[in-house]
Amino acid sequence: MAKYTLSELIISRAAKEIEDGQMVVIGQGIAMAAGVLAKNTHAPNIVILTEAGMLGFEPFKVPLHIADPSCTRGFTYSCDMVDIFSTILNRGYVDVSFLGVGQIDRYGNMNSSYIGNPDNFEFRMTGAGGAPEFVGYSHKTVLTMLGGEFVEKLDYFTSPGYLDGGNSRYEAGMPADSGPRILISTQGTFKFDKKTKEIYLAGLHPGVSLDEVKSTVPWDLKIAQKLEPTLPPAADELDILRQFSPEISMGRKLQVEAVVNRVFRIIEKNKNRQQKSG
Amino acid sequence: MEKYMQPDKRMTARQAIGNFVNDGDSFVFANCLYCMPLALTHEIIRQGKKNLMVFQQGGIEEIDQLLETGAIDRLVIAYNFRIGGKRVTTPLDRALKEGRVAIEEMTNHTLLSMMKAGAMGYPFIPVLAGTAVTDVVKRRGFLGDQRFAEIVDPFSGHPVLVVKGYTPDVAIIHVQRADKLGNAQLWGAMINSKWAALAAKKVIVSAEKIVDSDVIKSAPHLTIVPAHKVCAVVECPWGAHPSEVAGHYDYDMLFRVLFFASNGSPEGFKAWLDEWVYGVADRQEYIQHYVQQFGKDTLETLQAKPFPSVPADYGFSFKPAWDANEYSQQLDMNMDQYIQLLQDRGELIDG
Repeated sequence: MAKYTLSELIISRAAKEIEDGQMVVIGQGIAMAAGVLAKNTHAPNIVILTEAGMLGFEPFKVPLHIADPSCTRGFTYSCDMVDIFSTILNRGYVDVSFLGVGQIDRYGNMNSSYIGNPDNFEFRMTGAGGAPEFVGYSHKTVLTMLGGEFVEKLDYFTSPGYLDGGNSRYEAGMPADSGPRILISTQGTFKFDKKTKEIYLAGLHPGVSLDEVKSTVPWDLKIAQKLEPTLPPAADELDILRQFSPEISMGRKLQVEAVVNRVFRIIEKNKNRQQKSG
Repeated sequence: MEKYMQPDKRMTARQAIGNFVNDGDSFVFANCLYCMPLALTHEIIRQGKKNLMVFQQGGIEEIDQLLETGAIDRLVIAYNFRIGGKRVTTPLDRALKEGRVAIEEMTNHTLLSMMKAGAMGYPFIPVLAGTAVTDVVKRRGFLGDQRFAEIVDPFSGHPVLVVKGYTPDVAIIHVQRADKLGNAQLWGAMINSKWAALAAKKVIVSAEKIVDSDVIKSAPHLTIVPAHKVCAVVECPWGAHPSEVAGHYDYDMLFRVLFFASNGSPEGFKAWLDEWVYGVADRQEYIQHYVQQFGKDTLETLQAKPFPSVPADYGFSFKPAWDANEYSQQLDMNMDQYIQLLQDRGELIDG
């Protein structure tokens, strides 16, 4: 079996949440790679859009951020951000969106703003961005968690999951059937109980034990009767990912390291060149 | 509302910021992530502007730069990019912890809706109500209750979440091209540009290229800010570097990594600013310094290849009212017959 990275495992699993013919909102990093992987495998007729107002684009490399048109040779609809949230999202056209998790509670409510008391925080994350509305109004949200954590109580409530569980999300005005459906962490997959909306462990990644997962969750985590092990990415998926997004496959740490090394080489080369000409 | 009707508003970035940005002003970035007006931002910093209030959807490096130099003390924002884990403190972290900036947290949708309402001259505008349960809406920052409100839809009786419209004193925007009157054309990621620019009371435009007005007229659908809103036009090649501009250049990952590597400490940041902002007079010197540091070949790797839009054809028959023989097809008469008709019917008044 082909060797793969943890990022590739998560991307491959996330891509399986996309069905052909869907409208998919994609941010950056893992989510973008998952969308492109899906489009190049089982879901060729999806429409990929970003909240920056680019719809129907076909990235040939990973964009740096949500407003980066340098990754695609054109796109089919150019609009603004209010258009995306109103004419596309609010009208119910978004099937799937992706979101990275900072903190998450047992009902899938999320924090991407502050760790610690917001007035005297330990750590400030990126802030809300488009997350509250996308989680609130997309038919299905796929969550990925690389550096985040499970908490009993969020330090800051940025994005609505299932609120207090049960029907509370829908009573608060969010569309029927909307909500987070799956969380893919570095350890396994989690889903939400159909009735209570409490998160439960649905499957483990290869080599991860149940106790390891339980030790990261501060409450008595519910476990599916039958755990579905996460399948390693297939060889053709790895080919696509490494062609398309080597930076995401390698993870941010190694990516930054590679770019920093390039900077040093360029500065060095230029110094030598200046010394020669001077 | 003041209109800017001068036929030629070209000036330098220094003049534009000096003339039209005052200490204590509120200003809005009319680009977000893409095509960032960084040359204008750096000019604000060089001129030591103070006590500014800023609206920005999502900061990438500009907010950190304005904070670390003490230009802004109030910030309305939905997202600020950060790299590095919990051990890294960013300029925004430091400014918040030291109480140098007051923050108002928004979402992308609700912040831009504030601009859209302001741009349209409306007091408020509905937004997606599901966010009402979150701390973004419930917690209040320095704008207090002048942000969100819940009202009743007069037609259905259902509750509606609304945001207040805002009209900042000035917007800064970078675009691909503009004419000397200020008609500014942008394409690529449209994100917040239109509503942020139109919300402001006046707009400072920097453009990769100043073009003849005939170019603008051949593609008016690309005009994102009309001239009457624009108080200054600055020609500024590479004015958005290190962000990307369709038709001109890619983003510069190398430069961004250098920046983010330096912003983890006040000392590192100061060295970066001394080199790239205070150490250069304008964008031209900045690019010269870039070439000196990294080589012309490194800069050239960013250059865009052409991928031109198929032009929209704005053509018609272009027949004037009177043809070369002074005959009107519409009226089926020539000029002499026309004058005679007016005369005969008593329509002509003696002068």
